[in-house]
Amino acid sequence: MNPTLIIASLTIKEAVRRRLLLAFLSITVVVVGLSAWGFDRLAHSQSLTSGESNLAVPQALILFMFMLSFVLALSASAIAAPSISSELESGVLMTVVTRPIRRSEVLIGKWLGLAALLAGYAVGVCVLQFAVVRIVSGFLPPNPVLVCVYLFAEGALLLTLSLLLSTRLPAIAVGVIGVAVFGAGWLGGVVGSLGTAFNISALRTIGQIGRFLLPTDGLWHAAIYYLQPASLIAEDGGSRQNPFYAQGAPAWPYLLWVACWFLIVLIAAVASFERREL
Amino acid sequence: MSQANWAEGTAVERSAVDGEAGLHGAAGSSPGTRPSQSAVSPAIHTVALTKRFGATTAVNSLSMTVERGEVFGFLGPNGAGKTTVVKLLLGLARPTGGDGLVLGAPLGDREARRQIGYLPELFRFQALLTAREVLRLHCRLLALPKHAWEEEVGSALLTVGLLKRGNDRVGTFSKGMQQRLGLGVALLGTPALVVLDEPTSALDPVGRHDVREIIRGLRDRGSTVFLNTHLLEEAEHVCDRVAVIDKGTAIATGSLDALLARQSTVRLRVGGLGEGWWSELGRFGRWRRQGEWNVVEGIDPSRIADLVDALVARGGRVEAVIPEHQTLEARFLELLSER
Ligand SMILES: Nc1ncnc2c1ncn2[C@@H]1O[C@H](COP(=O)(O)OP(=O)(O)OP(=O)(O)O)[C@@H](O)[C@H]1O
Ligand SMILES: [Mg+2]
Repeated sequence: MNPTLIIASLTIKEAVRRRLLLAFLSITVVVVGLSAWGFDRLAHSQSLTSGESNLAVPQALILFMFMLSFVLALSASAIAAPSISSELESGVLMTVVTRPIRRSEVLIGKWLGLAALLAGYAVGVCVLQFAVVRIVSGFLPPNPVLVCVYLFAEGALLLTLSLLLSTRLPAIAVGVIGVAVFGAGWLGGVVGSLGTAFNISALRTIGQIGRFLLPTDGLWHAAIYYLQPASLIAEDGGSRQNPFYAQGAPAWPYLLWVACWFLIVLIAAVASFERREL
Repeated sequence: MSQANWAEGTAVERSAVDGEAGLHGAAGSSPGTRPSQSAVSPAIHTVALTKRFGATTAVNSLSMTVERGEVFGFLGPNGAGKTTVVKLLLGLARPTGGDGLVLGAPLGDREARRQIGYLPELFRFQALLTAREVLRLHCRLLALPKHAWEEEVGSALLTVGLLKRGNDRVGTFSKGMQQRLGLGVALLGTPALVVLDEPTSALDPVGRHDVREIIRGLRDRGSTVFLNTHLLEEAEHVCDRVAVIDKGTAIATGSLDALLARQSTVRLRVGGLGEGWWSELGRFGRWRRQGEWNVVEGIDPSRIADLVDALVARGGRVEAVIPEHQTLEARFLELLSER
């Protein structure tokens, strides 16, 4: 087997044994289960007209998905944070890196394994949530698959960044930075949309720069777009300052940049690990 | 008289060994030149290998050669630079000066690592895997053929005495058991070079004995062993040659015998001579009275026979001559204090 895949499968095996995926999924099942009740109330409320409730359900779903994306991204950061630094500290990596394997293979292998776990989690969360909402209210987002892809990409972004940081920093520091970075990314997006709505160029610029430096919010907005039914887009044209509204599909140059961002951070992580003296 | 004969025999043996090996600080070879590569390259060859951490010089211009098939002891006090040298040899750290070859390849070479087994000073394994799974993981990383895995894993477990615990998770192992597992990992795939960094630091007396047996086994099958230790009796038992390093500098290199044979101590019991008879024999060494024994310290082993002759010529009745080998510990402390 290819050394990269050996490390990837080892990473997955360890995570499964640690019951990580199981823990995340069981929490998710509980939360999504509770949300079923909420969506049911919303869909069958006497005080809302059927038109209103047709808008309320997708909007509530977007809010709910925001919370899930937050959990997803932080889980990604949490599982990646200890991957290199803790294993160096404990000595587990010593006998691995002295085998006929490149450091880059160790790092990419870990990245692949963690990303596969994250993908599994993202798919599980999306399937569960969309199924529940569909059953309770009859609403299904226009493109559930792309929603899942963008939510995964958002988590993978934090995962990759955390992996880079973990080649140099202890796990706790990486975890804290992960949370801070996610918050900053979201705030940057909010500031940017306020700037656009009120035509304040300084704020708009901050938002733009933020979107490029840290594409988490950009990817989140891509996910929002595929959560919005046509009726919501028609209705909500005026509320551009709403941070839970996406005006358009993600532009392909931006997606290209996101791909580059992944590549750059991953290369930086490999370089940092290769330079590190153990 | 039989004791005197025995002493004579020892002296002859000793001098034979004495002639063979040079005992010298290892800074001899010209620094800066890249070691040459040959068909049967030594297992380890370094030239002026140096590693600095800021102001600390952990390894200072170390030049040494470890031949294939040798058990080489690398001795030194805490902080001498032993672990740092091992990390340089394995490519875990980069030298700040000098260079070296391991199994004929540059330091840290990936293909050469296929031939190297390594037990780190800080050993830890994936806590959630079983011992067998850890060993299988390393078989995989070594790209051993799949049909050989079970055989390799089984024999490694047997050698390090973990056969019964093979299916238990490593997280449930005691520290000594983890070190045993580490040894097992280092033995996989019949490596040409086995690097052990204080392999008995967590082991009980039985484990220490086992490690000696393992090292002898490795030598018998032709592997080279590089043994880092500050436990001198460990080195004394298994090493063919040793280097003593202190503050990053090799202060003595050579065969154990040569290292110890420069001088030794003889205990004598002699009758038939009056008081103070040894005052004329000061040329042999430093004399000391200890109960009914006379002790000569610092005597050249080849002169023990002459000493006995001199005693007999003076009419002494030599009742016992007991040459005492200098312990490695004594020699070690002496070497360190000479600096
Ligand atoms: N990563 C590092 N950063 C700074 N100094 C270091 C580093 N690693 C080792 N040193 C220093 O290098 C010197 C040699 O350390 P090393 O670990 O090689 O000693 P050692 O001979 O293995 O000792 P011990 O018997 O205690 O294991 C020490 O002075 C140590 O402080
Ligand atoms: Mg050490």
